[in-house]
Amino acid sequence: MTFGRLPLVTDPRINDPRKTIVVTGVGVVSPYGIGLDRLQAGVLSGKCCLVPTKGVYPGFEGTTAQIGDFPPEANVARSRYSRSDRLAMTAARDAVAGLDCDSIALRESGVFMASTVAGLSEIEPGIVADPAAWYRGGGLSRAATYPAACVADAVSENLGIHGPRCAVSAACASSAMAIALAANMLLDGTAPMMFAGGSDALCPFTLSGFSSLQALDADPCRPFDRNRKGLNLGEGAAVLVLETLAGAVERHADVMAVLRGWALTNDAFHTTAPQEQGNGLADCMRVAMEMAGVRGDEIGYVNAHGTGTPLNDVAEASAYQTAFRGRNHPVPVSSTKSYFGHCLGAAGALEAAITITAVRCGALLPTLRLTDPIESPGVNWLRGEVRREPLPLAMSVSAGFGGSNAALIFGSGS
Amino acid sequence: MMPSLAAITGIGSVSPHGTLAGLIPPCVEEPEFITAWTTAGMRRAFLVKPFRPASVVPSLKTRRLDRLSAWALVASSLAIQDAGIDLSQFDRSRVAVVFGTGFGCAELTEAFLQSAAANGWSGTDPSPFPEGLANAPASHVALWHGLRGPNITVGSKGFAGETALIQAASLLRHGLADLAIVLAGDTLTRTVYEWYEAAGLLSPACYNSEPLPDGGGFVPSEGVAALVLELAGQRETRAYARFCSGRWSGGSPVSGGRTAETIRQMLGGSLPSLIICAGDGTPCAPGSIADLAREIGGANTEIVPARAVGAGLADAGALLHLILALSSGPRRGKALLLGTSGDGGFAALRLEIP
Repeated sequence: MTFGRLPLVTDPRINDPRKTIVVTGVGVVSPYGIGLDRLQAGVLSGKCCLVPTKGVYPGFEGTTAQIGDFPPEANVARSRYSRSDRLAMTAARDAVAGLDCDSIALRESGVFMASTVAGLSEIEPGIVADPAAWYRGGGLSRAATYPAACVADAVSENLGIHGPRCAVSAACASSAMAIALAANMLLDGTAPMMFAGGSDALCPFTLSGFSSLQALDADPCRPFDRNRKGLNLGEGAAVLVLETLAGAVERHADVMAVLRGWALTNDAFHTTAPQEQGNGLADCMRVAMEMAGVRGDEIGYVNAHGTGTPLNDVAEASAYQTAFRGRNHPVPVSSTKSYFGHCLGAAGALEAAITITAVRCGALLPTLRLTDPIESPGVNWLRGEVRREPLPLAMSVSAGFGGSNAALIFGSGS
Repeated sequence: MMPSLAAITGIGSVSPHGTLAGLIPPCVEEPEFITAWTTAGMRRAFLVKPFRPASVVPSLKTRRLDRLSAWALVASSLAIQDAGIDLSQFDRSRVAVVFGTGFGCAELTEAFLQSAAANGWSGTDPSPFPEGLANAPASHVALWHGLRGPNITVGSKGFAGETALIQAASLLRHGLADLAIVLAGDTLTRTVYEWYEAAGLLSPACYNSEPLPDGGGFVPSEGVAALVLELAGQRETRAYARFCSGRWSGGSPVSGGRTAETIRQMLGGSLPSLIICAGDGTPCAPGSIADLAREIGGANTEIVPARAVGAGLADAGALLHLILALSSGPRRGKALLLGTSGDGGFAALRLEIP
């Protein structure tokens, strides 16, 4: 193994199945239910899961997308696992259910999960007044789920995985980042298979936080619309099974998609606001395309970060202008946060799952409620009906507080 | 044998040993009394002494920063200074920041919860909310130094520090960055300390002024350690150590013998001359990691035991352990940075000390 700058690790010109990363499983828990098929059916039918929400805490009235009942097996050990843990475990089990994989391969796999909330969903304000008393009152094990690493531990323990495990926290870009870093680990030979994704539960902590920042739209959000007012929060989890093409071929696995390129950048601009011109995000997309060895013209669809906040959407539109400059036709872009809100640390993985669905089905999904798009000549804001056409390559884009950006490019598994 | 991969060319730390660029001079490890909050009787910990960040990083305004972010800024600046790097000479879009932490910005999370306790969830203070995210310190490092490369914050039970180093090396290897600022650390807060206490993890030394006993729990610590990691051979510069490869595994019920065997396989039959014990992420049994080190090493392998200050950092102690080991005397040759997670997991990082 030599060390240094490697050329385009998934570049098809290298054509090395040991360096090609493929997706062989996707597990999902979303407001549509458990499973990729439900997510797929939901978004293809244009069903919106955003509903008026009351009662999360006194005084909150807004719009969110919540997950209903868990399957009974997901409710075991509630005292040991946070809601984010249980969402992640359910998604991971869903991913494994579709795998024809022996227990030894599973045992040696690795886990790279993301969460922004993790066990904060289990912690109440009373902890700060008298921590010891709160712990004595039953909070000890709940507080133990606080570190984001617990989500990765929960998935590993639940699936009997003994390989490397860790968690990444990069705000709303977290799970896209987890997928990218897991791909690096596969190329490093750290594990034969990686379970990568993210999970975040809806809880008073985040609802209150975003509400205090005045970032929430009380009504269903309208990403990229001139009249957008903010975001809606959702919850969910998604876990992708990643392996090298060589590994997938060896075990005769179905390849759902190829992870052609990935990139991570930072705006280095502001802790919460995106850089106005979206330069960091544009760089991120450019580097991902460079890694994939593709031109901007070849990207058939972009699943945007598209939160619906005034600042994000303008910066993002500008980033598309820059990253796809020189394209023959405007790049088709939509935000599927208009379907089930912003799932924070799970958003990148859920949107990666949707992007894979788009590629597999040849479906360009519209942004819901987009009636008056912000002006951006280089962008084709998808709205109205689902557009059906062959889609060899699509990109999923994520960004988050702290200036984090991530871009993933998926290609057809066939 | 795999060639050396990346060089550690700069060190900075904000720890109970002080605010330092480069190696840490020998000093006594002595816990201090906690005064930041009211305790039920005497409580001790290894604490970072107050200092003026602006004395290290000119014009740095830390009034609105939590301690973890301020320490990360200072430690990263000291490491960059120690490496002799002029960042203006680098393409900053290719400089990564990788931060390993167990609890992230626990102080700001507590501040946000305080506002919820006082005013209800509908009256929370917005200022600590976004800054309380675990990735805020890494973001501040990027913002301050203008670093636009990958910005990653990782957590891993027992080995957040080791994981940060491995991920940073992976970014360099895959051409996703040319230089990485690697950090690991945590702050000690009341909720964290009292959680350790309620879980029965604390050493008797936390409750009296006696010297540190061997075993029987740990003394919590705080601080941030930073390293500059760059492609080996890119610049004519001193390297404290070179990172060769790393492997880690989550908790498993395998016996210690199996873990040692796995690590020996990774070493390819080449025994290290030095094993640096990087502590146990859930530090209840400090003897276990030294036992594992003895099982891995040969008769001529020197074993550097885990240091109490580093062990007190729990998940995020590895970089401080590494710095303390490098500081403890002139050494050279093959080294292994070894961490365990207390539930059968391990992290093993192969290094070469030139």
